[in-house]
Amino acid sequence: MMRSEKRSLIRFLAIYLSSTFLLFLLATLIFYNFQKHHIIDTQQKELKIQAKEISQTLRQLNETFSTPLLYPNNPPFNSAIYNLDKEYIFGSFRPYKIQWGEEYYQEKDELFHIHSIYPYYLGASSLIVSKPLNQKPIEQLIKLSLLFLFIAGIIFTLLGLFLGKLFIAPMKESMHNMNKFIEDTTHELNTPISTILTNIELLDTIYDCEGKQEMRRIEIASKTLSRLYEDLTYLKLNHNYHREIIVLNISELLQERIEYFNTLIEAKSLQITRSIQKETTLSIDRNDAIRMIDNLISNAIKYNKKAGGLLIQLTSKELTIEDTGVGIRAENIQLIQNRFKRDNQNEGGFGIGLDIVGQVVQRYNFKFQIISKINKGTKVVVIW
Amino acid sequence: MVKKLLILVVVSPLFSESSLERNCLNCHREEKIPSELIYRRYLTQYSTHRAIKKRLFIYLKNPQKIASVMPKQFFLKFPEKKSLDLNSSLLEKSIDDYLEHFDLKKQLKLSK
Repeated sequence: MMRSEKRSLIRFLAIYLSSTFLLFLLATLIFYNFQKHHIIDTQQKELKIQAKEISQTLRQLNETFSTPLLYPNNPPFNSAIYNLDKEYIFGSFRPYKIQWGEEYYQEKDELFHIHSIYPYYLGASSLIVSKPLNQKPIEQLIKLSLLFLFIAGIIFTLLGLFLGKLFIAPMKESMHNMNKFIEDTTHELNTPISTILTNIELLDTIYDCEGKQEMRRIEIASKTLSRLYEDLTYLKLNHNYHREIIVLNISELLQERIEYFNTLIEAKSLQITRSIQKETTLSIDRNDAIRMIDNLISNAIKYNKKAGGLLIQLTSKELTIEDTGVGIRAENIQLIQNRFKRDNQNEGGFGIGLDIVGQVVQRYNFKFQIISKINKGTKVVVIW
Repeated sequence: MVKKLLILVVVSPLFSESSLERNCLNCHREEKIPSELIYRRYLTQYSTHRAIKKRLFIYLKNPQKIASVMPKQFFLKFPEKKSLDLNSSLLEKSIDDYLEHFDLKKQLKLSK
């Protein structure tokens, strides 16, 4: 799966799963609250039944004249009677704080019910019945809700993956077709490009022919084609390519690549400024380094102004390539790092250059910065 | 002399009647008027001793059937009360004693 496909799938899954999760979370919370109230209501009904039974006993006690008068005590229920002035008369407990305005209330893990009595048997106008809240059904409800969320999460993640794959299928197909086309094209281009470049070198070495200017143009065009071929082959083989990581003298390689681009630099009359720290080394595959440097220099030449400036700086920590060209619009800086994306359509190319640089940077855990101002120029820094 | 006085002080309360006994209960016993039933009746109607005291005081100052909480049948069985010849403070004291004497809080116990 390509990076853009992966990104699209991750974005789709993130939006789909987060919205689905939120929806289910909301539904679960509503269900939980409804069920919890139902459980508490059931337990409050038990309090009411108990209060009625105690009221009956109080009525009987009120008519009893033999002492002692035995006040009912039915654990786990507790009860107490209060007179009209809300003064405590008697009970199996004495609540610390009573919410007189409520018929039912909860204090920590204890449920309370205030039951009015009339006539005031034994002088009691209020009967307070209490019982510890039975947490078991609530705990079971929490477990059930979490299980529901977990199962729904798994089902909707699987469904999301399936839908996501359906969603990116057309994009995947078009990417596949484009890659297939590039593969076929590059295969057919390889032999003629090699032939042209070899023969130009031969002509230049053996014959002192006229038309040097025309020869140089052919060389530039052939080198451009050759690099395009190298880039496309690199992209195609990127995953299967066997890398040989060596301690590479990056200073020498950079000089070598600048020489390679010399014809192009001269053709555009660019003022090149080099600041290359000698004997700088980097652990990297040579081909990866070439593809990264070539694409950065190539972009700096291609998008530069005629007779513009080109700064190439190498230190032990970073490589900086700066041009005085057309620049990149701020909103496109991130976008152009994707394959087939370009900010400027006026110049030729497929839009694969920064994608290759990005892949190399990612593979070696380098850092990659693009600083650009429109019509002022672009500075690309690779930090290792 | 001191010894005789001390014995008198210690023993005399045992033989002397309380104002409640003298002013209320003795007569109630003779007439077989159920004092505790009346207390319970007032309690079921007024709930607090404060309210019962207020109602009893009004009734005892001017005993009329209409001012009593007892049902009509009660007055068919028991004689209608005559006005007590007691001053207000003594009447209040007697009512307090009466309420204290029959107070249900003393009779209630938690069943096991």
